[in-house]
Amino acid sequence: MGRTERNTAEIEALYRQHGPALLLFASAISGDRGRAQDAVHQVFLKAIENGSVSQAKNKKAYLFACVRNAVLNDAKVQDRNMPLDVDSVWFSPPDRDYAGEQNLRRGLGELPDDQREVIVLHVWGELTFSEIGDLLGVSSNTAASRYRYALAKLRGSMLAKENSCADSR
Amino acid sequence: MQTPDDEQFEAYLKRFHPIAPEPVPTLSVSHSSRRSLPFGTWLAAVAAILVIGAVILHILSNRVVVSNRAGDAAITERHAPSEPLTMRSANAWLATAPSFKAAVDDLAFRSQTNPLPQGKQSAVAVLSKEKIRL
Repeated sequence: MGRTERNTAEIEALYRQHGPALLLFASAISGDRGRAQDAVHQVFLKAIENGSVSQAKNKKAYLFACVRNAVLNDAKVQDRNMPLDVDSVWFSPPDRDYAGEQNLRRGLGELPDDQREVIVLHVWGELTFSEIGDLLGVSSNTAASRYRYALAKLRGSMLAKENSCADSR
Repeated sequence: MQTPDDEQFEAYLKRFHPIAPEPVPTLSVSHSSRRSLPFGTWLAAVAAILVIGAVILHILSNRVVVSNRAGDAAITERHAPSEPLTMRSANAWLATAPSFKAAVDDLAFRSQTNPLPQGKQSAVAVLSKEKIRL
């Protein structure tokens, strides 16, 4: 197996493993599923071209950083702040809990951007607070603190939504 | 510090799996090209065999045609009718000829093999002598 083929095989494996979380992260930042998809593709296409992923120490954290840069650069080019698109499905729900999935998406959408980033990176990206701190350019304590706030807020909004749905029935 | 409630909620959130992105076009192309490479080679080999086979068949059939033509000529010369061409003679001609092509060829060149009787002219010869003013 040649070097290029080995590189492509490695990238394929990374895409299968981290693609869903990367797409969710990109969606959580950009607010638009299509732009998120483009950003993820762009990162992997560049990785295939220049083989930069194989040189990275922490490949997963590197990919998240690349996706974040790609989304933010794209947002600069587009020069517009798009509202979070909560109509497109982000998760495959457990036990066909589609209402729960919608509730989660709405809850995430209501979070401030920096808290949403942290919660997605920690829960679905499975990055440590230290890795998140490096990625966002903040200390690990700040990342952890944002996470706690985000978790409490998300739980509160999801519970409130569930209760309001129960009351309306 | 995370409370047990936080951990429980985190576990609940993790039950929701993010949807996988669409495949990267280049990755799928490279995947298929790697798979199709042996198939392409195999296809090229089959094509080469077919071409070689066709060439051999063509050469062999040409030889048969050449030998058939020689045979046909001999047969048609033998059976060439000397009387004028009628439906009956044409049918008989077709029935006895080795192939339809040979029969048509012989009928076409019949005028050359059967010269006209003395003192008679063909219609084409007469027309060629006519002076037509345009």
